[in-house]
Amino acid sequence: MTINRREFMKATTLSVAALSVPAIASRAFAASGPLIFAAAGTVTSSWDPTSHTVAPQITAEGFLFGHLTKCPMTEANPGEILPDLATEWSVIDEHTLEYKLRQGVTFHDGQPFTAADVKATYEYASNPDRPASAWYPGRVDVEIIDDHTVRLNTKQYGYPALNFWYVSSFLPILSAADIANPDMLKQRPNGTGPFRYVETTGDQIRFAAFDKFHEGKPSIEEVIWAYVPDANTRVLGLLNGQYHLTERLEPEQYLSLQKEASLKTDRSLSSENKYLHFRCNKPPFDDPRIRLAVCHSIDRSQVLEIVGEAGQASNCHLSPVKFGFTDVKTYPEYDPEKAQALLAEAGFPNGQGLPEIEYITSVGFYPKTREYGELITAMLQEQGFPVKLTTLEPAAWEEQLYRRADGQGPGHIIDVGWITGSPEPDLVLRPNYHSQFALVNGISDPQIDESLEKERSATSTEERLKILQEETLPLIAQKAPSISLFSSVFLRAMSAKLEGVQFYPNGPIDLSKATLS
Amino acid sequence: MRASASPALVFLSPDKIKMAFALEFFLRRISQGVLIVLAVAFVIFTLLRIAPGDPTRIILGPMATPSAMEETAQRLGLRDPIPVQFLRYLGDIAKGDFGNSFIRGKQGGTTGGSQDAGSAAPVERAAVIELIARALPYTLLLAACGFLLACLVSIPLGILAGVRNRGWPQKTALYLSSFFVSLPNVWVGIVLIYLLSARTGWLPAIGYQHIGYVIIPAIVVAVELAPVMIRSISVAVAGNVQEPFYEIGQVRGLSARAMLFRHVLRNAAVPLLNSFGAQMIGMLLGGLFVVEYIFSFPGIGLLTINAVFQRDFPVIQTVAIFASTVLVFINIAVDFASTTIDRRLKF
Amino acid sequence: MAIASSAAGSFATPARGQSVNARILRLAWRSPEMKVATALFAALCLLTLFGPFIIDASATKISVADKFLPPVFMEGGRLPHFLGTDQLGRDLLLRSLIGLRNAFLIGIISVVLMFVLGCAIGIFSGYRGGWTDVVLMRITDIQMSIPVIILAITILGMSRPNPVTIIAVLVLSGWPIYARVARSVTLAERQKEYVRAARIIGASDLRIMLRHIAPSILPPIAFVAVLDVARMMIFEAIFGFIGIGIQPPTPTFGTIISGGTQYLLNAWWITIVPGCLLALALGSLNLMGGVLERSRNLILQGAA
Repeated sequence: MTINRREFMKATTLSVAALSVPAIASRAFAASGPLIFAAAGTVTSSWDPTSHTVAPQITAEGFLFGHLTKCPMTEANPGEILPDLATEWSVIDEHTLEYKLRQGVTFHDGQPFTAADVKATYEYASNPDRPASAWYPGRVDVEIIDDHTVRLNTKQYGYPALNFWYVSSFLPILSAADIANPDMLKQRPNGTGPFRYVETTGDQIRFAAFDKFHEGKPSIEEVIWAYVPDANTRVLGLLNGQYHLTERLEPEQYLSLQKEASLKTDRSLSSENKYLHFRCNKPPFDDPRIRLAVCHSIDRSQVLEIVGEAGQASNCHLSPVKFGFTDVKTYPEYDPEKAQALLAEAGFPNGQGLPEIEYITSVGFYPKTREYGELITAMLQEQGFPVKLTTLEPAAWEEQLYRRADGQGPGHIIDVGWITGSPEPDLVLRPNYHSQFALVNGISDPQIDESLEKERSATSTEERLKILQEETLPLIAQKAPSISLFSSVFLRAMSAKLEGVQFYPNGPIDLSKATLS
Repeated sequence: MRASASPALVFLSPDKIKMAFALEFFLRRISQGVLIVLAVAFVIFTLLRIAPGDPTRIILGPMATPSAMEETAQRLGLRDPIPVQFLRYLGDIAKGDFGNSFIRGKQGGTTGGSQDAGSAAPVERAAVIELIARALPYTLLLAACGFLLACLVSIPLGILAGVRNRGWPQKTALYLSSFFVSLPNVWVGIVLIYLLSARTGWLPAIGYQHIGYVIIPAIVVAVELAPVMIRSISVAVAGNVQEPFYEIGQVRGLSARAMLFRHVLRNAAVPLLNSFGAQMIGMLLGGLFVVEYIFSFPGIGLLTINAVFQRDFPVIQTVAIFASTVLVFINIAVDFASTTIDRRLKF
Repeated sequence: MAIASSAAGSFATPARGQSVNARILRLAWRSPEMKVATALFAALCLLTLFGPFIIDASATKISVADKFLPPVFMEGGRLPHFLGTDQLGRDLLLRSLIGLRNAFLIGIISVVLMFVLGCAIGIFSGYRGGWTDVVLMRITDIQMSIPVIILAITILGMSRPNPVTIIAVLVLSGWPIYARVARSVTLAERQKEYVRAARIIGASDLRIMLRHIAPSILPPIAFVAVLDVARMMIFEAIFGFIGIGIQPPTPTFGTIISGGTQYLLNAWWITIVPGCLLALALGSLNLMGGVLERSRNLILQGAA
């Protein structure tokens, strides 16, 4: 360090000398103690995985729960499925899938994992009452063949069981006893994952290694989830040695941390796309022409320049690591003339007469939202849209995000990242574009509904792929209930002493084989 | 403050007069103080309820059905007129119940994003008193450290500047105060984080793990307090140094230093206490909140600012009541101490 | 500084108020610090007013290709971006100047309003006495017992802040001091002969309050107003930083600084430069206020 210390030492000699010792000590202590993960979000007050759809809690659940299968979701092979709690799986007929379960697995509370738990989990989670049921293709009946074999049956509900093919890697397996006792379910998580829940104090959650984990007890004894909402703070803590792992770095932070010897960085395409959702059930965006006009007013290449390393261009409402992705030829491009023509056609030449449009975005969770928020606001204002930008803290933004019970939601344009845990495209398309759900944008378009039903009723994966790529995705691009700005690339950093970490494209972090020296 | 004369007192002995005076003083001021705190509470209470945003939605989460929302609103009494709600609130406070947070669960999570109506049961929310009790020690620690640091710098400078009315101590005091008071504490905080933590890694900056985390925030607080302290001290000391008794005392054989410590400082204490009272605590409070927010220091300030962004009414109300109570009582204490030290004053 | 002119046809005392103010000003002007501070302040005001026309760049034009340009005196900097650009390629100097202008406007308007409001209440309360006085003073106490930040974050944090609400909050938090001083001055002046004489002549209460008492308020309080402008500007920056100030894309110091905090490691000038500019502006204000206060003390104590 070449900074002249004299001035600072003179001013703060005693305090620095006396109290920098704990600072050094904390670094030494941290190396042999728990792994502290500085997380960008935090959990809700219910540990029931079916009660929420928030990405941070899904990441947390990744430490705690197991699934029937796991999907690494790489760009090269998005459809790969690996065994987790299930060892074999097969298609029996159009409406039935059979899974053979692993033996010798126990839950954190000591109970053995059996078919009864799979039955309870799948039937509970797919119940339309559950808020997270939007993730699942529909209700399912589970037949217990024996203690370690189950069959998923969708005959009663009229859709192919194949729809669960990828979802099986996403549904966390809960204990049947917990499901029978909902209060217990909410209070503490009980899963088969490599770490078990210890306690929550304030903004920190403690997990401890589960010694009976079926792949072997993790070498990291303790993981602390520290909720640090500000990206800047996360990086500062990493530099200080306070934290060992952080997520959702800003691109500049990623670039400058690459030069730090004590840290290493990681970059991978995620299953998340950043969208601008329009509130489609109220003016002015109940008119698809005005929605399209907005899409044509946005120069996505400039947005990508701002986002830098954290984004990858994609002309599709799905991320490239998802089954069904294609480069949609008719995706709306930057075309101010077209935007003006559409506006004039809709009766608002040059944007005159439009009501004030509120563009709501969060800051501190997704990279660069404030910056490209200001950019897009300027671009829209250039075309005459009376846009005002509202930046909210993640908790406040989350509260305004989803449509309320009366069907309406605040604002007109909402910046959202939608991330899903398996290659299954319906995890994105149904919750957002099917009129039965349309969680954020409230679209109700029979053509879209019809296309979604068609693709999910396909009887083979090839047929389904064709429908998605040639019909459904182009249709959604044309109707524009939302526009996908880019696909997110996750930028992470961790202590150089942390080895063996595996990252999933939707957030969860596999620390079961990791070591922190 | 108005002087009050009580004719009845002339018939009592000096000690009894003092006690009666004290009693009357406290009764009068405390009753006024209670009224003031009540008024403040009412103002904040009303502001929160007329602002846009429905509390039931916050409590139940975004996917709540209208019937569930109405039911919760009725149960919590949110549909009654505001004065009625306020009286009920006061009643709860009298029993010691300051309510539960709308947002923070007992086990620490926040409910933003949870769409499960079942998790709305208020019994699962953390009690406001607990949240405040957990955060208060940190705020007190930061306040104490900041104050001490400020004193370390301000007292010597202030006394020097007051004693010599011209020359370099006075100029230094003027320049230093003007400089420090021109820096927004947010900016000072960021610069210090950059210089002392990010760039060099000497000191920790964000959150709280051990006592070292209080240093940089305390420096920021001190930078904010120092100008006011320097000015008050120098003015008070200067005022007394110019009195004849200062020079006369020296003529009579007392050294300048003895004069200083025994008499000047005692006399200066009164106006000092006065300005410390209202100004200082008010400033301290405001500055602390913002500093805690910048450094994610887990004190009352961070709790309150987060509560505002998350629309957590009970927390905001309770903090407002406590803050104004503290202010009012400090004022009372300061006024009483002033009358004890300087018998010429009557409050 | 405007000094209320004395009225012809009243007794001599108001003229004394005028000359006190003038004497304070003259004494203050003699010190070199005052000259420096005033010059600096004037320069900044001029820059704020005319800067946008001289500098050939735009404060709000986003130019992503130009982002993170350092100031001209550092490697990589280039004109016209004298002090560099921010994360969206916008010129930092211009944004800071506009931020300064907004800050000045908010500071000056809120202080003028709180001065007028506070003095009006104080004079009225002191002059009338009786129940009016008691009630108004209790209201003052209540207002003083609510810390600024709590009031601000409650009012501004709940709804979308705009300049009007921000100024309203600042005025609400600041008027009590002026009211108190105005009241004590009024109480003192009320007893004086010239006031009694004016009453005998038949001058109305309003005329007495405006013409005779008001000028005497200035000596004790004028410098506080100057300092308060600086204080309000700092509050505005703090509000902007927390997110309850004027919303983007309007440049304000708070938003510029908070937007730049995450680029401390690679583009530190985004945070540091606006802060320095603000510090200069406020420093000159505070220095002026400090000198005025010192001069006032010296004059009122009869030492000069």
